[in-house]
Amino acid sequence: MTLVLIGLIATSFWPSNKDDFQLPKKVDFNQHIRPILSQNCFICHGNDPESREAGLRLDTEEGAKAILESGNRAIVSGNPSRSTIVSRISSNEADFRMPPPESKKILSGQEKAMIKKWIRQGAEYKPHWSLVHPKKSLNPADRTLTNTEIIDKYVHQKIEEKGLVRSPGASRSALIRRVAYLVTGLPPTVDELQSFLSDSSVQAYVSMLDYYLSADAMGERWARHWMDLVRYGESMGHEGDYNISHAYEYRDYLIRAFNQDVPYDLFVKEHLAGDMLDEPRYHPTDHFNESQIGTGYFFLGEGKHSPVDIKEEESDKIDNMIDVTSKTFLGLTVACARCHDHKFDPIPTTDYYSMYGMIESSRLVPIAARKPSNQQDLIDELRTAKSYIRESIADQLMIQLEKEHERNELVQLTDYLLKSGASILPDSSMNILADFRSGERTGWYEEGIAFGGHASRGELLIDPETLEMDGLITDFASSRTLSGGVQGVLHSPNFTIEHDSIVVRARGNNGLIRVVIENFQVIQGPLWDFLEARVNGDEWKDYKLEMTLAKGRKAYIQFLPGDFIEHIYQIEPDDYIDVQYAVAFSGDHPIGSGSLRHPGQGVQQADITEVINSWKKGSASSSEAAIVSNLLFSNGRRIDIAPQNEHLSQYLNLSKELFDPTHFIGFTEGDAVFSPVFIRGGHENLSEYRTDHRFLEMFDNEMAHFPSGGSGRLAWAESLVHPDNPLTSRVIVNRIWHHIFGRGIVSTVDNFGLQGALPSHPELLDVLAVRFVQEGWSIKTLIRQIMLSETFQRSTVIMDENNELDPDNAYLSHFPIRRLEAEAIRDGILTVSGCLDRQMYGEGVPVHLSSFMTGRGRPKVSGPMDSYGRRSIYRTVRRNFIPEMMLAFDMPIPFSTFGKRNTTNVPAQSLTMLNDPFIHEQATYWAERVISQKDQRDEEKIEQIYLTAFSRKPNTEELDTGIQFLESRFSEIAGNKDDPFTKMSVWKQYCHAVMNFKEFIHLL
Amino acid sequence: MTRREMLTLSRNGFGSLALLGILGSSPIAPLAASSSQVIQDPGVPHFMPKAKSIIFLYMDGGVSQVDSFDPKPRLIKENGEDPYKKFKVDATQFNKIGTLMRSPWEFRQYGESGMWISDLFPHIATCVDDIAMINSMYSEFPEHTNANYYLHTGIGIQGRPSMGAWVTYGLGSENKDLPGYVVINGGLTPPGGLDNFKNGFLPASYQASILRAGDTPLANILPNESQEVQREKLKLMNVIDKSLLNQLGPVDQIESTISNYELAFRMQASVPELADISKESKATRQLYGLDSDDKHLRGYAAQCILARRLVERGVRFIELTCPNCGYDRWDQHFNIKDGHEANAHAVDQPIAGLIKDLKSRGLLEQTLIVFTGEFGRTPFAEERQPRGRDHNPQAFSTWLAGAGINGGTIYGKTDEYGYRVIENRTSIHDLHATMLHLLGIDHIRQTYRFSGRDIRLTDVHGDVIHDILT
Repeated sequence: MTLVLIGLIATSFWPSNKDDFQLPKKVDFNQHIRPILSQNCFICHGNDPESREAGLRLDTEEGAKAILESGNRAIVSGNPSRSTIVSRISSNEADFRMPPPESKKILSGQEKAMIKKWIRQGAEYKPHWSLVHPKKSLNPADRTLTNTEIIDKYVHQKIEEKGLVRSPGASRSALIRRVAYLVTGLPPTVDELQSFLSDSSVQAYVSMLDYYLSADAMGERWARHWMDLVRYGESMGHEGDYNISHAYEYRDYLIRAFNQDVPYDLFVKEHLAGDMLDEPRYHPTDHFNESQIGTGYFFLGEGKHSPVDIKEEESDKIDNMIDVTSKTFLGLTVACARCHDHKFDPIPTTDYYSMYGMIESSRLVPIAARKPSNQQDLIDELRTAKSYIRESIADQLMIQLEKEHERNELVQLTDYLLKSGASILPDSSMNILADFRSGERTGWYEEGIAFGGHASRGELLIDPETLEMDGLITDFASSRTLSGGVQGVLHSPNFTIEHDSIVVRARGNNGLIRVVIENFQVIQGPLWDFLEARVNGDEWKDYKLEMTLAKGRKAYIQFLPGDFIEHIYQIEPDDYIDVQYAVAFSGDHPIGSGSLRHPGQGVQQADITEVINSWKKGSASSSEAAIVSNLLFSNGRRIDIAPQNEHLSQYLNLSKELFDPTHFIGFTEGDAVFSPVFIRGGHENLSEYRTDHRFLEMFDNEMAHFPSGGSGRLAWAESLVHPDNPLTSRVIVNRIWHHIFGRGIVSTVDNFGLQGALPSHPELLDVLAVRFVQEGWSIKTLIRQIMLSETFQRSTVIMDENNELDPDNAYLSHFPIRRLEAEAIRDGILTVSGCLDRQMYGEGVPVHLSSFMTGRGRPKVSGPMDSYGRRSIYRTVRRNFIPEMMLAFDMPIPFSTFGKRNTTNVPAQSLTMLNDPFIHEQATYWAERVISQKDQRDEEKIEQIYLTAFSRKPNTEELDTGIQFLESRFSEIAGNKDDPFTKMSVWKQYCHAVMNFKEFIHLL
Repeated sequence: MTRREMLTLSRNGFGSLALLGILGSSPIAPLAASSSQVIQDPGVPHFMPKAKSIIFLYMDGGVSQVDSFDPKPRLIKENGEDPYKKFKVDATQFNKIGTLMRSPWEFRQYGESGMWISDLFPHIATCVDDIAMINSMYSEFPEHTNANYYLHTGIGIQGRPSMGAWVTYGLGSENKDLPGYVVINGGLTPPGGLDNFKNGFLPASYQASILRAGDTPLANILPNESQEVQREKLKLMNVIDKSLLNQLGPVDQIESTISNYELAFRMQASVPELADISKESKATRQLYGLDSDDKHLRGYAAQCILARRLVERGVRFIELTCPNCGYDRWDQHFNIKDGHEANAHAVDQPIAGLIKDLKSRGLLEQTLIVFTGEFGRTPFAEERQPRGRDHNPQAFSTWLAGAGINGGTIYGKTDEYGYRVIENRTSIHDLHATMLHLLGIDHIRQTYRFSGRDIRLTDVHGDVIHDILT
């Protein structure tokens, strides 16, 4: 049944006169035949062997042309009379006719004729159009044409073919309003309008277009389009509507990316694997790593409140990531293959679980969002400064020791490890997850720079307030290898929780231990708060986490400075965490008080001078560092680091520079996981085999096979933008077309699969896609090329002749009249009222909560009604509290990819425009603006209002009606026309009415 | 006549005329009585309707038939046994197939018809002689979202017109101040989202308006200024918008926006009045359970009263969504005992109240009530504890009451486990065909041309279920 639509689209290519079968010259399988077969025949003669009748399948060429049980062939190429399909569909006998009467399907005469003609022409089967790569070499006739000319050529061709009449060009007023809104989401200002209208050069239109394309507002509009695709939200919805930590970093990344016109192939790679690029992209002026922020979109989905079945939650979240990723970039519904092979597209479940494994291999962590391009230089400088301080301390220590005649003593290197407590050796009742005392961290991962790798033994810890030595990094891992407050996460390999508890020996200030089971991030009560422990206190302590409820779970453990407060990650300059070891164990094991004995180290002796020298050079082992630490801080010894002021202040400055509380939640690599197939989608019914990391099977070539190791995200990303990938470029070109014309060349913008619509202009889409890649994947260039076309610049006037032939305007004989999107309507209101605040970026403005916005997770504080006049994109997107005005005007609820918004027409829209207090408030501000022009006559004021709202002057009727309205209102109020209050009141009424003129929310 | 032709006929500004209508100054107000009537399907009704309105009680998530309306004694006997040894088990969505599970509730016979109803629905049980029970429903989809689209639009994918949109396309609204298709939001938006209630390719004005029960059913329903000022503004808008339309030609988008304002204007008066249930009598309040201790029951009672008030005002299609009782709709994969009990407790009394109230007001004979989920549940439990049941599209129970319905009828049969239909398999298309039939619409003749093809709610399927009709 789902195939009906496809059939409709195909048959709509011809007039519907029933007796006159206008068949195409060349019948095309994809365009003409598959829709008929799939709609009428595949139920019994399709892919599914269980429902197949008579051993016949028509979905493959082999099946359709094979010898049947009856000895005949359904289809004989070039020979309709020998093809039984023809006699069966043409028969008048109910018993013999196909489709059979009980199917209630009837082939039209045209459909039958089409099938016959197709068979006569050779019955050529073809793979689905979108899976065939667009022809890279253009038709000779097209080679010399610009993309703009190509657009007009193909669009005009269709218009002529269909017997349609082109509408004339739009007025300049209409054009500037159209361009400004479509490129930037804002109406043109009166100044912009005047300067365009007064520019009589041939370049006027191009200059105007380029002006808007280079405006900052361009990125804001196109970022919002993109946010619909990646179901952008700043809270998780469901019951608690919990925060998504600093999601706006990703939003700002998008705005910058569109403004900078980052090549789309790079943009795609950043989304999948921005953390893994060899040469990441840095911000052109602020020089921070932009690429890594791309993976932020993965975390922007929904999240349940304490899900009982946490494995199911993981599979649902990953499912959503697969769904969003495959639809957004490929226009494929890979998520349909969660439970069974895709019903229509060649996507087996193994494709799904291959992606699943790749996502499962990746871990979500807070990542500093302003990682500077010169970060390593800063780190080196800081280390150098510290090493100067260290050397001076070492020298002072030697002098002191000499005085104390202790210099030549021998020390036992392991002593310091065994000093206190009863020592126990690890045994089978426990699982040592980490023992950092030896400096060993095999298999562990570090995100960020805090934990400094292995080479941090003996590093000086300096108290930022007292500027005194706070100790050395000896037998533990520390987030203070550079200084406190540096972001980073130390996380373990995957393990299975088999013991009752996990004990972590740690100390810190606002440090955090998290056990992440089944990649579950929303750690909180009532069910899952046991997965987290806060570390506070300078003394070593055992932090015990009870794990009985998580037994059998796949897990990893992470240590990080800072904390999540209401799910928002926060870090202060003196936050840190130090960890000695982490052990999982069951029962009353006498572990604790630092009693775990370090296994395997013999007792060695060393000379104190050598030990100090080794430390001085920065190459101390754990126990050497421990000895130095002991020497420095025992016997009341006091070494002052103040003489090193020069290096100390350099160190302090650098550590301040490294302090960066900004972050987003993005992907970093974890252990490679190869997922089994979940049979019928059930996470408790797993296949024995595991799926490789690879690209979709339908692309069975070099891009499909990945080098082993890691999550495979980078290879997946490269396959997306591989020259042999037929989808990625078509999909984005079509999306841009859609945003400009309100309808894609493929109208199902998120589905290029067999269920999707066929392109209205297939050749054009292919040429644009190929050129898009050849010309460097530039989105701005493509927008520009499209907007320079005559097709784009046509007026919205509908020619009478076209009404019947193309009521949906699929062939663009006129520019489609479009209602503005929710954001553009609101931003437009703020623009005309003069209240728009053009401040860009940053934390979202809190949602204004009306009395209707109730429910759990409701924010404690409501934001201001006008959101400080900021553009709509800067308002916090709380899933459960999306402003009613936005919903009324079809802003999508962010649950999955939404490439094509609805344009509905519900009374809530009119009620908003008529009655919403925000609209009334803005009308008042607009009126204030109008009145402030004291020397303008009323006529001039009205003219100004029209220029502001509609980018044109009022006509006589509009002017007269406006004046009449004002006069009648003045006389009604019976006030003095010059009384400020009366004036205000009347002009506000007029401005409010203008906002309610239909032209206000439409693009003409 | 196509819709486009209708529009062309009225191209000299039907939208503007309609707007004039609300200002009371239109010389031809009757034509403008409702914009939707202007572009509704010509030729409808095809024959004498029995029902004027439909109330669609949507049981989100899927009620278990073997625990409600389709008793299966064999499950008591074989409780705990392995279903694989009894019959061929289809894969379920979650595929955690446990053992056969008896119903936690007893069944009793009620009324003259002696219909069996479980203890989940003691109030509905008192109405059995007004109810026709179909025990042989099946769906095509085992998954909520698709099954919801299928139930609501006749096709398992997103984006097709909802049945309510088809009905209003056919019949318009009897009330020019209210939309013809209303969803009363009980708190739970079904999986698949608001697309279940949309107009698809039909004109936008046929989509549902979503009201909530309570004092303020709709945001911005009250004017922010005096009525007089608002009317003056509307007059001004009318002149300006009319001249815009004259320039542009028949643009559906603009015309629809204009008629939308017209409706919005009238709704400012009609909706608050409609939603004010404070004047309902004490007896009515008690009948529906409006003062119950169970807040979900109170909420659903208010929805049901609102539904009756909408019927009284001539609204064609009213759907009620479920209250959120904290058990994830009727979708009890586990702990069906508590979940079904909480849901049933919330809806049982209000629904029975609705039937009785409509009956006593003489409205039941012109109102069709439909009670259905998107699919049923399995006779076996899932492995999880406490026990619950998985989705079963192979069989479920739906009942209808009111206009044209032969009360006390039991139609169709499932096997001894309630797992599959063995007699009178009834599809969603059949249900839709029957609903349209009762409204006087022939489901085969009501079509809409979209992309060059005549499309209908029932696709190429559907037979009216005459056996349950009077």
